[in-house]
Amino acid sequence: MSTVSSARPAGALYWPVQARRNIGVRSLFVVVLAFLIAYGVLFPGLFTASGFAKFTQSWFPLALVAMAQAILMLTGGISLAIGATVSLGAVIAATTMAGPLGVAGGAAAVALTGLGIGAATGFIVVRLRLPAIVVTLAGSFIIGGAALLILPRPGGAIPEWLSDLLAGDTPAAFVLLVAIVLLWKLYLATPLGLSLYAAGENPVGAYRSGVPVDGARVAAYAISGLLSTGAGLFVAAQTGSGDPVIGAAFTLNSIAAAVLGGIGFLGGQGTMRGALAGSLLLSLMISVMFFLGFTPVAQYVAQGLIIIGAVAIPQFRKVQQ
Amino acid sequence: MMKPSFFASASALCLGLVLAIGAGSEANAAAKCIKGDRKAPYTIGWANIYSVPTWMKQTQGTIEAEVEALKKQGLVDKLVVTDAQGDANVQIQQIQSMIDSDVDAIILIAGSSTAPARVIADACAKGIAIINFDSLVDTDQVTAKVNTDSSQWGDQAAKFLIDAIGGKGKILILNGPAGVSVSDDRRKGADAELKAHPDVTVLAETNTPYNVAPAQEAVTSLLFANPEIDGILSLGGALSAGAVLALDKQGRDQVPITGENARQFLELWKEKGLKSWATMQPNWLGAFAAYTAVQALEGKDVPAFVKIPLPVIDNSNIDEYLARAKDFPTDGYIYSPYDEELFKKLLAQK
Repeated sequence: MSTVSSARPAGALYWPVQARRNIGVRSLFVVVLAFLIAYGVLFPGLFTASGFAKFTQSWFPLALVAMAQAILMLTGGISLAIGATVSLGAVIAATTMAGPLGVAGGAAAVALTGLGIGAATGFIVVRLRLPAIVVTLAGSFIIGGAALLILPRPGGAIPEWLSDLLAGDTPAAFVLLVAIVLLWKLYLATPLGLSLYAAGENPVGAYRSGVPVDGARVAAYAISGLLSTGAGLFVAAQTGSGDPVIGAAFTLNSIAAAVLGGIGFLGGQGTMRGALAGSLLLSLMISVMFFLGFTPVAQYVAQGLIIIGAVAIPQFRKVQQ
Repeated sequence: MMKPSFFASASALCLGLVLAIGAGSEANAAAKCIKGDRKAPYTIGWANIYSVPTWMKQTQGTIEAEVEALKKQGLVDKLVVTDAQGDANVQIQQIQSMIDSDVDAIILIAGSSTAPARVIADACAKGIAIINFDSLVDTDQVTAKVNTDSSQWGDQAAKFLIDAIGGKGKILILNGPAGVSVSDDRRKGADAELKAHPDVTVLAETNTPYNVAPAQEAVTSLLFANPEIDGILSLGGALSAGAVLALDKQGRDQVPITGENARQFLELWKEKGLKSWATMQPNWLGAFAAYTAVQALEGKDVPAFVKIPLPVIDNSNIDEYLARAKDFPTDGYIYSPYDEELFKKLLAQK
């Protein structure tokens, strides 16, 4: 009885809280929806199994790095090493999976590397109180160099069946993304997850209230590293091989997606669904503008206008209030 | 016992011959990826990796000119252009969009030598003619690849330089970015010559983008460290221009240097009276790729790999190139002349 009575008010609170968190990104959701509809109209093949699969596959790695960046920005951190970490994940996958370690061993190596790099970065940033932007910039050179050491030039291989499974005509990427989002929801219910927002918004207050601020931040870096190398593994599977510089563009794109999704630089502001919507918009824009027949130069301009629009409209409303 | 087995092998041989002839005639009938169900006028997709560098703009210029010519012949009706802004992942997505919109041919410079392999194989399976030029992809699922030989580039450059410094001396090597196949291949190509001449000492090597400013900066700091330099093995035109400017600014004597057909470098070559040698990655590879795509779609057989011989510029023909300089952008590349006759000849070689 007692569980039921305590669950009811919590359940009643849940949806209004969620709705309030959406306020800042509502206009972004509208823009994303408009682009989705436009894409569907321009390219009806989107609604076939393989069309949907290919579309989610081009979005998936960007979605992962957007989450990797967002989780850091929520704690008041940032990473300039995400692109390099993606590259490292890709080359580790491409050099181990076809060898004696096999797919399971290779995936474990990729995951451990991501967690390890993330935890180490987090430890340096949090314990030594160094600025995240400097530590991760330096980290990006080290990690990028390591990727070039492992695979000096594009090569390596991913077993064909794994490529077909993850990046073939099945919506495996979408299923994985849903699973990762559910795991994120679960994580937010754990003590470390609960501390995440508090550590970002008001670290001193949170610390005085007994919140494990440092632990939450180091864990965020570790998870971020894991998501980044995971994105690298997916890119390697998608391309069937490894490339030591494949991830370079992901650093800026991850920040763009997170900011577009309403995540603040100062920590504690924003939601993961915003970051995901931001990454989806970045990915959708490329395809929609292709089908609209924009020239590359017009695409540059349009991209900038759309991004400014999506970020500015909610701010504009706030100022008016 | 002999007879049946003899018969079996003889008939197997005959069958083999028939199959071989069958396969042979099939290969003659159409190039790879071509199914013969696409009819002119064709839509050509040009999947560019990065449109900003001048080399790329000039290359796109030759593609557009070629497409205009093919339009007049009624063979092409549309050119679709994408720009991945240097991001190999975006290029994959754009090639996917080209497949989705059912273009007839895709010509591309790959942003990664491995990454686009799977999406290209998808396109090939749909009967789209794929011509890959300049930066190539490690896959055979394309109609044709078109390129010069980067390793030969490095080899010939090293040969010239070692000759020019008399077989011994101290040299610098200027490379393009690390981890990029073209830059890697040119450097590897130079290895054999360098090993064969142990009296040639490599003082230092640089890796910079193919731009004047970073190369000039890198060479300037090397000049401080090395008072004595006999030659510079530069494996890119902008790199050479940067090196010549660096020597000039430091008031050092110019040394024998290799290079590329960058207009700035060719003009410096003349101005400073250098002893030099240059080759090029001709911009008309783009035009040739568009031409080859249409030939393949028209049912002609095209070789799986078209090797473009390296045009050479040296002190004997530099004036011919500089005479045409005004037709090219100041930061551009003066490429060797081309026409349809040349394209036909290149396609006919086996």
